[in-house]
Amino acid sequence: MSLQNIIENWSSYRKGAEQGGHHNYEHLWGMVIDLNKCTGCGACVTACYAENNLAVVGHEKYSRNLGMNWLRIERYWDEPDLGEESVAEYQHHGASFLPMHCQHCSSATCEPVCPVAATYHTPDGLNAQVYNRCVGSRYCSNNCPYRLRYFNFYSYYEESWPAPLHMQLNPDLTVRDKGVMEKCTFCVQRIRTAKDTARRERRKVRDGEFTTACAQTCPTSAMTFGDLLTLHTPGGGVGETEAASLWKKHQVELGKSRQQKQNPELRGYRVFEGLNTDPRVLFLERVREV
Amino acid sequence: MNLEMKRREFLKVMGWTGAGLAVAACDRPSFITSREGRNHVVSYLEPEEFAIPGVGVTYASTCQQCPSACGVNARVREGRVLKLEGNLNSPLNKGKLCAVGQASLQNHYNPDRITKPRVRRDGRLVEIGWDDALALLREKIGPDAGLNGKRFAWMTDTISGHQAVLVDALMESLGSNNHYVYEPINSAVWRAVCRDMLGDENPRLGIEKARVVLSFGADFLSTWGGAVSGSARYAEFRNAPRGVLIAAESKMTQTGANADLWVPVRPGSEGVLALGIANVLASSHGRDLSALPASVRAQIDAHDAAKVAGITGTSEEHIKRIAELLHERSPSLVLAGASAEGHEHGYDSVAAAMTLNLILGNVGRTIESSAGFPFPQLRARSGNGRSVIDFAQALEEKRFDVVFFKGVNPAFTAPAALRLNELLAGGPFKVALTQFEDETTLLADLVLPLYSSLEDWGTHVPSIQPERNFISIQQPVMEPLYPETRGFGDLVLSLLHMRGDKDYAGYEDYYAYLQHAFVALPADVKNSVTKGVGGDAAFWSAVMQQGVLEFNTATPAALVAKPVAFEVQAAAAEGNGYFLLPSANPNLWDGRHANLPWIQELPDTISKAVWDSWAEIHPKTAAKLGDVKTGDVLRIASEHGTLEVRAFVYRGMHPDAIAIPVGQGHTAYGRYAKGRGVNPYAILATAQDRKTGEPAHHMTRVNASVIRRADVTWNNGSGMDRLVVQGGSSTQVGRKLVVTVSADQFERTEGGRA
Repeated sequence: MSLQNIIENWSSYRKGAEQGGHHNYEHLWGMVIDLNKCTGCGACVTACYAENNLAVVGHEKYSRNLGMNWLRIERYWDEPDLGEESVAEYQHHGASFLPMHCQHCSSATCEPVCPVAATYHTPDGLNAQVYNRCVGSRYCSNNCPYRLRYFNFYSYYEESWPAPLHMQLNPDLTVRDKGVMEKCTFCVQRIRTAKDTARRERRKVRDGEFTTACAQTCPTSAMTFGDLLTLHTPGGGVGETEAASLWKKHQVELGKSRQQKQNPELRGYRVFEGLNTDPRVLFLERVREV
Repeated sequence: MNLEMKRREFLKVMGWTGAGLAVAACDRPSFITSREGRNHVVSYLEPEEFAIPGVGVTYASTCQQCPSACGVNARVREGRVLKLEGNLNSPLNKGKLCAVGQASLQNHYNPDRITKPRVRRDGRLVEIGWDDALALLREKIGPDAGLNGKRFAWMTDTISGHQAVLVDALMESLGSNNHYVYEPINSAVWRAVCRDMLGDENPRLGIEKARVVLSFGADFLSTWGGAVSGSARYAEFRNAPRGVLIAAESKMTQTGANADLWVPVRPGSEGVLALGIANVLASSHGRDLSALPASVRAQIDAHDAAKVAGITGTSEEHIKRIAELLHERSPSLVLAGASAEGHEHGYDSVAAAMTLNLILGNVGRTIESSAGFPFPQLRARSGNGRSVIDFAQALEEKRFDVVFFKGVNPAFTAPAALRLNELLAGGPFKVALTQFEDETTLLADLVLPLYSSLEDWGTHVPSIQPERNFISIQQPVMEPLYPETRGFGDLVLSLLHMRGDKDYAGYEDYYAYLQHAFVALPADVKNSVTKGVGGDAAFWSAVMQQGVLEFNTATPAALVAKPVAFEVQAAAAEGNGYFLLPSANPNLWDGRHANLPWIQELPDTISKAVWDSWAEIHPKTAAKLGDVKTGDVLRIASEHGTLEVRAFVYRGMHPDAIAIPVGQGHTAYGRYAKGRGVNPYAILATAQDRKTGEPAHHMTRVNASVIRRADVTWNNGSGMDRLVVQGGSSTQVGRKLVVTVSADQFERTEGGRA
């Protein structure tokens, strides 16, 4: 996909999600995160650091909100209902944990603002970041309602991997330099490997053949990663994946600006649904005995 | 850092071709000329074993970051280990791994590893060769050293498998039985209660089978009994029909943060709360107490909900609700962990909790007998906290001439009041088998550098076996990074050789010994793996590939519950300051992971703080101390010392308690750990549980005062003076980020309930 191509065919790339999205998708990678199971342990976060060459920035830079964690676990305490003054004396229902990584929106707000098309939509449905095209305008980060883009304000590689820590770096992807935006890629190097292997073996990518680093390590198996293409185009490339069947089960549809669940009690929801970004991460509501 | 040097090292390790892939992509253009590069070219015609450039291979091994012994699969490319995943074959962790397990890589590649033996000369540790180091050891513990074995001691962390066999053999050869197995984070009191009341120290806990789990501070999602296996069981427990989790604690643990109902308990009164729940179970729900000893029945009778509410700070309504849930939804499971154990009457509190299991009929349903592991000599020697107190006592009495340390850092984790550093400094000849320059290593007279867990051989037998008995295999996943480090098994074996031990004379190294030990297993064990195809070599290679060896064992005998008498108390009432809770940190553990940058930068589950310590207090406590806000610096003083630490204010604390997570406050241990945060172990009192002698770590009383206010303005030049946490808002401010629904609704849609 050349820059020229993008410029010439801009309007076809910016087709709305409801008109079928940007591409004739090959895959449509997506995820389901069950908040009934997530315990907030952070195994996914560290797995992501290990897989994706995330820089450790240290205490001082972290204090200036420069942490490079593509995946974070947000922790919220119960609050009074709006309009009420008082809160309970104790946190009787524990905490609310929310793993947040790039939502890989189908109508991503980060994409159209990039002046150099470094942020673009792949035929796999990923919000990709082309590092060597990025000029560091940070418009994308400014436009992301989920705050899931991370900017290299420093050349972190100078200090983050003192020898021999650098030997752990994953050679399947790069280490990013100063001035470049980075973000969750749904472990695109794993996707690439799986697709290449499938092509070599003259078959389609199988569900469960690979998964992202976060989903693979999750001790409670709260995360399910997979291809959602069947939801998007009925009869699409692959059989129904586990992830796709969960979307279906919870009656959340891609490419819809307003969800019309037959059973409104089903737990599936997307964060900031109302912004109409059409995210591809489905959350299943947290459950508490009351 | 000199980038050019870095790149050259890279090339040496990876070979020219592989480096081209990795380096060209990752930083500035390479300055290495093709002439220089030619020196490092690896010929495709003579490939290293399994090293196909660009293609990863996977080796099975065992994680050594905590005593659980989860199986891992290590991805290796161009001779370097890059990533760990859980091993699907392990019946313990079933393909999953925790954050600390992921970070094993940084233990292995840590820039602060010790690479050569060191010896103390003129008060300083200087590097020497292995020949000199072993000669010195021969002088101290060799056959001609004239060492009285009783004057030799060894302190290790939890140890099992064939390493334990070798350590036992060495101790026997020396005529010593002073093996101190020390784990600062343990469940020794729980194990003692299980032994006394169930006849089984490590019963299997069927969290997934329970419909209600009540935890008195047993953090089974992180530090209690194995985080990954606990989490897997928890996930199953949360499937429909969904189990209810109740946590009664003085400080919200990670498990507490996931509870349906979290109730505060005044520190030390967990046993009283258990009695109150038993009282309601008998009086309101007709549960039968007749099997209990009369003294226990009398205590239950004497503790009605109203009285218990007054003592524990748990509301009467909640006590009744907990009893109701436990009564209505069967089977249930009651667990007790560190906060219940850590008092002079810790055993009694845990026994009271276990009595609830008896009353509720959980024994045999959610608490089952551990299948007896067929090889007792390989079983885990599970660590406890008492051993460091006994060890200090022995040092005080000058009973040792030579002591060995492996996998423990008592100079950091023992309460300063034990004066361990002082006793060690003037005392015996100290040998540290270690990877790092931690506080204990700095006191040693001889430092022997070990392989990392990813370079070494080993076998591990988890103390709590899952449904099937198994041994987990640890094998090297890459060549050692440093030629002058050694494997633990190899080292102990060479000491046995030095002692002239005949039983082990025939084994050249630990690998040879392990292979022999496996091949010598009974034929039925081997056949279960090979299905009769192929000989010993096939068996050995299959075991190495799978990473685990499972045993078919007979169904264990059912547990027989045996109530014991106990005397529940509450900790001393008002006055005397706050209780200091040195809470077990899910990630830093007892401080052993403070040198891993990924772990330092992983926000804490509760506070979300990074790279620092903090003191958790309730808003009421904060108000009492003078409108304390998160980030204000508190001075916390016990009679044994003072700490200065930032406050973290939230509603998951009992107002009488201040919790400081352990793990930070290192004075050594490398660039990532040293000089960061505070060490609450340092100011603990040395009280012990009356029945087991375990350290009563949760009953130290402290005073607190504010010494500095946080400054969250940008104008002081050096950044904000605050507690560094991830995220800005502690609530959702009305946005629906995490939506919560009722369990009823969940059961209606996903449990098939109409």
